[in-house]
This record gives sequence, structure tokens and C-alpha cells, in this order.
Amino acid sequence: MSALEVRDLSKNFAVGGALRRSQVHAVDDVSFSLQPGTITALVGESGSGKSTVARLLARLYDPTSGSVLFDGGDVARVRRRKDVLRYRSQVQLIFQDPFGSLNPVKTVRHHIERPLRIHRVVPPAQVEGRVHELLSTVGLVPPEEVAAKYPHELSGGQRQRVSIARALAVEPKVVLADEPTSMLDVSIRIGILNLMLKLKDEHDIAFLYVTHDLASARYIADDILVMYAGQIVERGPVEQVLADPLHPYTRLLLAAVHGERIDERRGSASAAVDPAEGCRFVSRCPLAVPVCSVMTPPLVEARPGQSARCHVTAPAT
Amino acid sequence: MAQVEPSIEIGLIAPKRGVRIGRIRIPGWLAVLVRNPKSRAGLLIVGFMVVIALIAPLISVAHPNDFSLLDARQAPSWHHLFGTTDQGSDIFSQVVLGARRSLFLGALAGGIATVVAAVLGITAAYMGGIADEVINLLTNVFLTIPPIPLLVVISAYLKARGLVTMAIVIAAVLWAFEARILRGQALSLKSRDFVLSAKTAGESTWRIVFGELMPNMISRIAAAFVLVFYISLLVDAGLEFLGLGDMSATSWGVTVYWAQVNSTVLQGEWWPFVFPSLALAITVLGLVLVLTGIDEMSNPRLRTERTRGRLTALVFGRAVD
Amino acid sequence: MSAVATKTLIEVQGLQVEYGRVRAVDGVDLTIDTGEILGLAGESGCGKSTVANAVMQILRPPAHIVGGSIRFQGEDLVGKSAEELRKYRWRNVSMVFQSAMNALNPVMRVGDQFVDMMRAHEHISKHHAIVRAGELLDLVGMDKRRVRAYPHELSGGMRQRVIIAMALALNPELVILDEPTTALDVVVQREILQEVEALKRDFGFAVLFITHDLSLLLEFADRIAIMYAGEIVESAPASRLAENALHPYTQGLMRSFPPLTGPRVRLTGIPGAPPELREPPSGCRFHPRCPHCVPEDAALYLRQTTERPRLREIEPGHSVACHLVEA
Repeated sequence: MSALEVRDLSKNFAVGGALRRSQVHAVDDVSFSLQPGTITALVGESGSGKSTVARLLARLYDPTSGSVLFDGGDVARVRRRKDVLRYRSQVQLIFQDPFGSLNPVKTVRHHIERPLRIHRVVPPAQVEGRVHELLSTVGLVPPEEVAAKYPHELSGGQRQRVSIARALAVEPKVVLADEPTSMLDVSIRIGILNLMLKLKDEHDIAFLYVTHDLASARYIADDILVMYAGQIVERGPVEQVLADPLHPYTRLLLAAVHGERIDERRGSASAAVDPAEGCRFVSRCPLAVPVCSVMTPPLVEARPGQSARCHVTAPAT
Repeated sequence: MAQVEPSIEIGLIAPKRGVRIGRIRIPGWLAVLVRNPKSRAGLLIVGFMVVIALIAPLISVAHPNDFSLLDARQAPSWHHLFGTTDQGSDIFSQVVLGARRSLFLGALAGGIATVVAAVLGITAAYMGGIADEVINLLTNVFLTIPPIPLLVVISAYLKARGLVTMAIVIAAVLWAFEARILRGQALSLKSRDFVLSAKTAGESTWRIVFGELMPNMISRIAAAFVLVFYISLLVDAGLEFLGLGDMSATSWGVTVYWAQVNSTVLQGEWWPFVFPSLALAITVLGLVLVLTGIDEMSNPRLRTERTRGRLTALVFGRAVD
Repeated sequence: MSAVATKTLIEVQGLQVEYGRVRAVDGVDLTIDTGEILGLAGESGCGKSTVANAVMQILRPPAHIVGGSIRFQGEDLVGKSAEELRKYRWRNVSMVFQSAMNALNPVMRVGDQFVDMMRAHEHISKHHAIVRAGELLDLVGMDKRRVRAYPHELSGGMRQRVIIAMALALNPELVILDEPTTALDVVVQREILQEVEALKRDFGFAVLFITHDLSLLLEFADRIAIMYAGEIVESAPASRLAENALHPYTQGLMRSFPPLTGPRVRLTGIPGAPPELREPPSGCRFHPRCPHCVPEDAALYLRQTTERPRLREIEPGHSVACHLVEA
């Protein structure tokens, strides 16, 4: 039973001046599901659409098309405050920038109290106790001292832990983590990643871990989704995909990270503007054949559990 | 510092803890204003005027409207510190009591204009859509009305010219200007992560406007208040000088009006002009200095541009300052 | 500047830099030899960018050098006149910044910026300068015609290539790369670093490569120096560091990179956070986070908490500042 299921999710943004109404296909036909007690990594480079997916799931934007199934219903376009609030009490988002995601003029206590009070997670008398509990859970001790501090009195790693504590306050089923460690020092990142692993195990949360870093994706994730130009181009169990990638882009990413020589065919992982039919990776692909320029490859399960969007390595039979 | 530069936070000031002197606790924002030399000077001036206004009834030796033809048109002396008018009224009393009126008017007009501007401007920015369009329309209507003619017309036709009416009229003319500025700043804040965070936590629109956006715009809102404050002083005095104000009130503008009407300067009597005008000018100066201090305090943008200029110059090998 | 290529290009001794009253760099010794790649690794606040700025002589108030010397080919830079420094910058030593947008003028075409820069240093006609600009862009793998582009028309990777080209324009002896690829995607990063390597082979300049990503240095650098809280804590040839990192901080850093291959192991990273330089820890600055600093070991603990360890050479080319590692 999935915690969250995404079907054919798409998001277009209009660009260009008044006369040129082009559409950027930031997210194009994305489908996946998140299971409780697992971490799914959503990997891609900048502009690939991964953050947009997280924000769509957090209902910060409305999708252009597609559905987000939660608890039996499609939440993609709900409007009523009651329904939105119910969704927000179960699905939380952690932001990338530890400096920007906390209100500078409010204390740590305020940040964690608010979700507790809004969603009435505990009776008012127990709020303070719960705040301290949450701070301890994320490793911020002594909690009474930390609760009284303002964000600028904390380090980047500590601020990110506050954001995690805030997300946990509502006892969510799903946590969307949008590059939670990319702005932290290297030696601090592991601490945050370990915390996420602990929370996954102890609270059975379904995590979506958005990142551009394959190594950390391997470290904590069970499954991996690789995004390119708004589409999912490969998915499967993380070990399997990284050991033996199907899609040429995944192979390119791995080569770059391993420090292998890569062929320089310029191209960009960014979302396409008014894309034509055909594979979006074709200009950079060493395996391209004629059909690649004409027909958009579907996501095909070429091996048990592992799918790729490639006419050559994962042909539709 | 992180290895990736965090976005420059325009207008966001981390709350500074206050300082303690003995048993007195000075709030953080006040400490910052005191540290800046310009705003420190401004605060002293404004503080001085406030004190004068408060003790005015105690130090004014005579009722300002007392007239005594015997004492008329007397130059400043120990008896009448600022001299007397053509009717024998003590100008010193008129000035210190006029301070009360001015400061109260400024605060009231400033308060009304700022509250309206903040609520409308920030809400429009955050809600977007129809709310934004409607409020923008309203703002634009008020902006296109030329303020001075409007004020003159309203004052000329208004039966009640009391203090409160004047404050409302001035606020009505000035709020739109501030609303636009505050809307602009709120727009830049609304897509900040901490605002989005509050949204995903489930905060309602009102709580976001008042709890997340406004507290991070305090310096701009304070600046708006000070601006309206000093403009209303000038406007009020100006209208009175033209004879369009509440001519029975004790105020700086009225004193100058009567002085002008009675051609006192032509007769070499400078004191009915100079003292009230000086009081007005000094008060306005103090407010402007405070305003400058607030602006300098909250504008890291200046810092960024200096850095960019320096690095560009370096690339081209030009001598750097 | 001396035309004879001496072996040691840059020699930094006992460098101390303060920002107001905070000492960002506290006694740093470094040497960069002709044609070598020295990597300087460390996390935020360790002072590595300050060292780079000092070598480049672009420190501005409130930052100022309060001690030590920086010699370029034997001559101390600290005493030089503004004009001499102006010539030194870009002609002898150039710099590639983390963010190209800090170095590029957004309202000028790229080619014109080259022209400006070249004409500030040499007598060259505008036409020749533009031609040379095109050649340089070609050198970094870009289309020559991009000389006519504005910075915002280029992608992040391309902008970075432009400033690399600019850094090479006057054929300097040393190029400082300050987090040159941190803001770029991993594939672009790889392409750019490959290019820099090729250019270095062709032109023979030395590189001071500053980054927080130790794994990049292990791959590219000849020697690596690790900075922590304003000091150098370890320095060694890259290969030696990979095999035998001695300082607990370096070891901790190495343990902070999750492996892409091999068994999936739980890592511990380094507990705590880099210190505030306003009030650095007494004694060894790393001691609050060091797994080997325990009160039980009283005598050692006393030294660790009160005495600053000095950089000592443990084996040829490999120095460490650590009380645990005493020869």
C-alpha cells in the first residue's frame, strides 16, 4: 500500500514575452510511488525538474495535468482548506537552504510549535514537552536551550535539524527532502543523512530524497529515479541501477562522478521548451539511432524492477 | 558561510538581542539605531521635541491665545522668550504647545497610513490573483490623484478641520505610495523558503501575512511611518500657512500664517516667522535622520554592489581603490 | 618581476590575516612550485579563500594582513606598490572565482571584456584583442562566435569557461581556482576540469585549487594541504594522503564521502561543527571534535587542550600538526 502515488504528473511554465507564449515542460509525465519505511532518491542535475516535483507534491504549485493519489483520493487540485490541511498534516517538505528556510525573527520553539498547534497534534498543555522531544529526536540537545535560540544563532547543520524537527512535528507519512544537505559542509552531511535513515526506520516514513549527488543517493536510498529534462529516464533499486545502468544518461552521470573521462557532447539536463517528439537526450547520446529523434521512448521495464526510457537499451517489445 | 553563497537577504534583519545598562534593558532595534551616528542624532532631536511637547503645559508661561495689546509685537526677551505676536500672544507658548499638535498629528497620520499600506500592500503581494488586482487598482487610483490639489480642495470644503480629520486626509493621500513599496518588498519575500515552509506547515494566509512577512519588513514599515510622519508635518504647516487649516488651533503653521498676514516681517519683526519655522525644520530634520539610519541599517544591497564592482575592476587589472 | 623561472613560485610564510578582530588565517605556510597543482581543502570558514585572496593581493578592508610574508619568485608582495601589484595581478597570477557572475560585467559583451582586460595590461589593438579573445574561447572549448554574447546568454558552464579563458589570457605562471565548479552540475564540472588539465599540460602554469571537495583534489592535485579553523593541519602529496592521512580531521573528511562502489557502510562523519573564529578552541582547534581527545588520557589531553600543535614533517613531503603524531 503506497504512501503516495504520482501518476502522469506534468507541470508547464509559460515563458517568453507577450508574443511568444512558449511552454517550459518542467515536469513531464512523471509517475512513481513512495512506500512507507523506504527512501526513494530523485536524482538529476539543475533544471531537470526534480525540485519542481517535490514542490508539486508539497502542493506549492498546481500541476498542469496528472494526479497525486494520497489516502485514496487525488489531492492534486484540492482547494478546500480542510482538505489541504489534512494533506499537509501528512506530507511535509524540507528545503535546501538552511539559511532561508527559517523565519529570522522567530525562535526555534515557534517554528516547531506552529505545526503542532495548527494540526492539533497534542493538547496545548503538552506542546512544550513535545517540542523538546522533537528537538531531542533530531539530536539538538539540550532542547530547552536550543528552543529559545534564533536561527542566526545556530549553524547550518543545526538549522537543518530544526527544519527536520518541524517536519516531524505533524507525524507525517511522507517527507519530501529537497537537497537537504547540498548547502552544508561535507563533514556535517553524513549526520543529516544518518538522521534521515534513523527516522525512516523508527517512524516508518516514506522519504523522497531529491539530490544531484549519486553517492549520497546510494548511501541512504532504497530506490532511485533519474530525471533528465523533466522526464524520468531510469528507475529501479538503487544498487541495481548504479551497478548496471541502462540509460545512457545514467551512465554519463556515473562516469562523471567516478572521475572517468567523458566525451564532451554539449547538452543540458534542463527542462525543454516546447519539446518536439523524440528522446531529449539524443544530441548527447553515444547510442542514438534514427528512431530516437522521431519517437519519444516510453519507460520500459527492461529488467525485473528496473525501467529505462531508451529505444536502444530498453526497447518496447 | 556555506560553500555555496546563500541568497542575499534584502531587508531581513536578524533580531539583535538588547543590551542591558544596569537594570534597564534596551531592545535590540533601538540599540542599532543608537549606534548609527545619523539616526542617533535624529533620535536625540525627535526625543527632545517629544519631551518639549510633553512638558509644554508646564513651561508655557501664558496661554497661547492670550492677547494683550500692551505686550504686542515685542522682540524676544526674558519675559517672552520668543517674543509676542501682533496681538500680544506669547510665541514661545505657541511653539511648545504647537509641538504637541504636530507630533500627535504626525503620529496619527503616520499610523493610519502605515497600517493601511502594510495590510493592503502585503496582502495583495501574498495573495496575488484577484485580491492583488483589486488592491492594485485602488492603489493606482489614489496614486494618480495629485496630492496637493486634493488636500487643498478637501481642506477648503471640509467643515470640520480638526486634528483627526487632517490626519485622515493626509493618510488618505499618502498610503498608496507606501502600499506600492511594501507590496514590492513583500513580493520578493513571499517566495522565500521560510514563507513556503510556513505554508506547507499549514499556516493560514493571515498568519503568514502578519506572522511571517510583516515581522521581516519591520524596518521598511518603520521607514514608511517616519516618512508619512514628517510629510504630514510639512503638509499641515503648509495648509495652515495658506489659510486652509484649522485656524483656531495652536500650531506652528498658524503662527506663521498670522505673521504673514499681518506683514510682520515687513516691519522687521522676524520672531513670529523664525521660531515656529525653526521648530518645524528641526523636527523634520530629526525625522529624516532617523529615516536615513533605518534605511542604511537594512540595505545590504549596497554591500553587494560594491563587491561586484571591485571584482570586475580586478579582472581588468585596473587599479582598485 | 623576475624573468627567470625559479623552482618555487609562491612562498607563503606565517601568514596571518584578520577581518576586524577575527583572525581568519593564523600562521599559514605554503609553497607552490612551478607547474604543480596544489590543492587547498577545507570547509566553510577555514580561511582557504582568504589565503587565495592574499596571494592574489585582493584583500580589502576590513581584511588585512597582520603578519607573515607572501613571496612571488622570491620577492615579497607585501611591500609592493599599487602599480606593481596591478601588473602582478593577472599577468603573473590570475584567479577563477566560484561564481562567474561576480567577475563578468552583465552589460558588456564577453569579447569586449576580454579587450578591456588585455588592453589594461598590454599594448594591443582592439582588433587583435578580439581575435585573441576568440582564440582563447576556442581553447576552452567554446564557439569563437560567442565573443559577441552577453553573459546572461550563456549557461553556467559556459560562463565558467569564459572566466577560465580570461584567467589564461595573459599566460600567467599561476592560476588560482577558487571553488571553480562548485555551483555547476557534476557532468559540466567533469568537462571543465578535464579542460583545465589539458590547458595546464599545454601552457605549463601552476594551479592553486581551492575546494571543499577533497575527492576532486585527490584526483587532480599533485599535493594537498588541509585547512581547518585558519590553520594548515596536514599537507602531503595527493597519493600519500589517500593512502595514509594522519590528521584526525583529514581522516574524518575522507570518511565523509559515501562510496559509490563496494559495500554500503554506515559512515560517521565528524560530530560537531567548525568553530567560530571569533573565539577558537584553546590548544588544538580540532580537539572538541576529535575522537582521540579524551580526558582519560590526562597528559595528552592537557596538551591537546592547551598547546597549539605545530606543523611537523613526519615523512618526506608529508607534514601534520597533531599532538598524537609525534615523530
